[in-house]
Amino acid sequence: MTSMSRTRKGSSLFSGSMQAREVRLAWALILPTALIVFGLVLFPAIFSIWISFHKVGLYNLNDVFHAPFNGLDNFKAVINDFAFKWVSINQWGAAVTTIFYSFVSTILTLLLGLVAAMLLNRPFKARGLIRGIFLFPYVAPVISVAFVWRWLLDPRPSGVLNHVLMSLNLIDAPRAYLATRGLAIWLVIIFQAWRYFPFAMLMILARLQAIDDTLYEAASVDGANTWQKFISVTLPELRYVLGAIFLLRLLWTFNKFDDIWLLTGGGYGTNVLPVLTYQLSFNSYDFGKGAASAMIMLAALIIFIIAYVMIVMRNTEES
Amino acid sequence: MTTQTVSNENRPASLINHLAGWINWQRFLFALGLFFFLSMILFPFYWMVSSSFKSGAEIAGRAPVYIPSSLRLDAYRELFDSNWSHFQNFGVNIVNSLLVSIPTALIAVVLSTLGAYATARLHFKGRELMLNGVLIVYLFPAVLLMIPLFAMLSQISLVMGFNVQDNLAVLVLTYLAQTLPVALYMLTNYFRTIPDEIEQAALIDGCTRFEVIWRITLPLAVPALITVGIYTFMIAWNEFLYAFIFLNDRTAFTIPIKINTIFNDPSPRPHVVMAASTIMTVPVIALFLAFEKFLERGLTAGGVKG
Repeated sequence: MTSMSRTRKGSSLFSGSMQAREVRLAWALILPTALIVFGLVLFPAIFSIWISFHKVGLYNLNDVFHAPFNGLDNFKAVINDFAFKWVSINQWGAAVTTIFYSFVSTILTLLLGLVAAMLLNRPFKARGLIRGIFLFPYVAPVISVAFVWRWLLDPRPSGVLNHVLMSLNLIDAPRAYLATRGLAIWLVIIFQAWRYFPFAMLMILARLQAIDDTLYEAASVDGANTWQKFISVTLPELRYVLGAIFLLRLLWTFNKFDDIWLLTGGGYGTNVLPVLTYQLSFNSYDFGKGAASAMIMLAALIIFIIAYVMIVMRNTEES
Repeated sequence: MTTQTVSNENRPASLINHLAGWINWQRFLFALGLFFFLSMILFPFYWMVSSSFKSGAEIAGRAPVYIPSSLRLDAYRELFDSNWSHFQNFGVNIVNSLLVSIPTALIAVVLSTLGAYATARLHFKGRELMLNGVLIVYLFPAVLLMIPLFAMLSQISLVMGFNVQDNLAVLVLTYLAQTLPVALYMLTNYFRTIPDEIEQAALIDGCTRFEVIWRITLPLAVPALITVGIYTFMIAWNEFLYAFIFLNDRTAFTIPIKINTIFNDPSPRPHVVMAASTIMTVPVIALFLAFEKFLERGLTAGGVKG
């Protein structure tokens, strides 16, 4: 029977044609996915590098392959752009803002996620339901939650935060929180942490529940209190999962466009590289410059990943 | 817990005593933490839903209205009732969103099932390369791809004679490119947990590969297929950036773009924005709660980019 020999793992039992048939089948199965992913992700990614070295605007978009080469001009233009470079303490520029924003909000996300996971780690009534509710910010569409936040922070006296602070006599007049330099960046950071802590929480919770109970019992025998147990048992056990979440969230926050765009439009000291890339491309229609800014982003990401992997790997070798 | 309360019901203690007996520092902190998180999470959602039932006057007042006086449907009328002033024709946008999300989810499930079967079960050169490549692709940000995609697709559309702008099929394609890597990765991992022996037995019994996939692997993988389907649906339903770039015509807008338009309207009508947001959010939350078990596993297994 033909089916007999169609078994497994390229063993010598295979006749050449059977193996060939399996390989053909495999490629046929994976081809549609591969075509879409490579055609719409990998090729564009490479094409993006090409664009960043060429002069591409709306006028020659229809003939983009004949766009004139302009060397490093796009990159120079981005780096010298006032929206990009550090100007003063009041105007950070997108480069510094992006780094600050992604690191601080990732750390805050991680901390909130850790606290939430510790809360939900012990059994209590309705834990399942509450865990579901904790995930709401993460599954809800960004546009609706961003606009609710914007409305809660509304500059009119009818904005909830204004109303609350004015009722408590903490402020005299309503304020435009998201339009205040210095404050706006913190608000988008808090929004980011609010929206993404559930991701961290779930991963940490999964790891927490895998910690061996005997470790805690041993600590109890040694006379450790709750805090000491947390420091000497829980945290070391969570080290790797925390590291992994940190890396993932940092990468995604670094690239995130929607949240900041919808909250502040990139104004008032919240202009980050993804928003700048969008503005360069679709507001000033300088696609070459936009691509250059995206490349700078990518380069920063790659450098960061390499550094991170090297540090983490060195640490694992040491321990 | 050392101070576990014994059932207090038959003890003639006052409520204060009862509380005093029950509470300790740990419990107090726990309750405080829970209260903090729940109010922080739920208040924005409450504000969204309750505001959608407020009248224009309640919205425009000097102080915020925390509880709407009655369940007014003004905002919803504006979205759906063609006789209402500022009629938004929101029904069209819901249909558009469904026309994008449902095909994305279905095609993603079908294609990733085929692909994942190949990478999990069949042996061919470049398999590991394919899987690793897909994982790297997963880390590629949408922002990086928007410029080349836009340039590339407008080029292709010129040659092929279709419209890139306002074309929902183009949107489906770009969403597939974003979701297929995750889908493939999740399903490959799942297929690897299904014992190979069952399939081997069926092959020996004379089933063809496709019969094996259809009769054995797929029924066993139903939970994973549901997870992938709902994920891709949710990603497509929530997606903002590509829709924002590719859609210009009001009749082609998906829900997020429409909400953005209403929000940026010169005369602010937050209750309408909140009504539209409620309509967009409720199905997602409902889907999530209905399939929470599957989805959480998927989340921790690599989950949704975002």
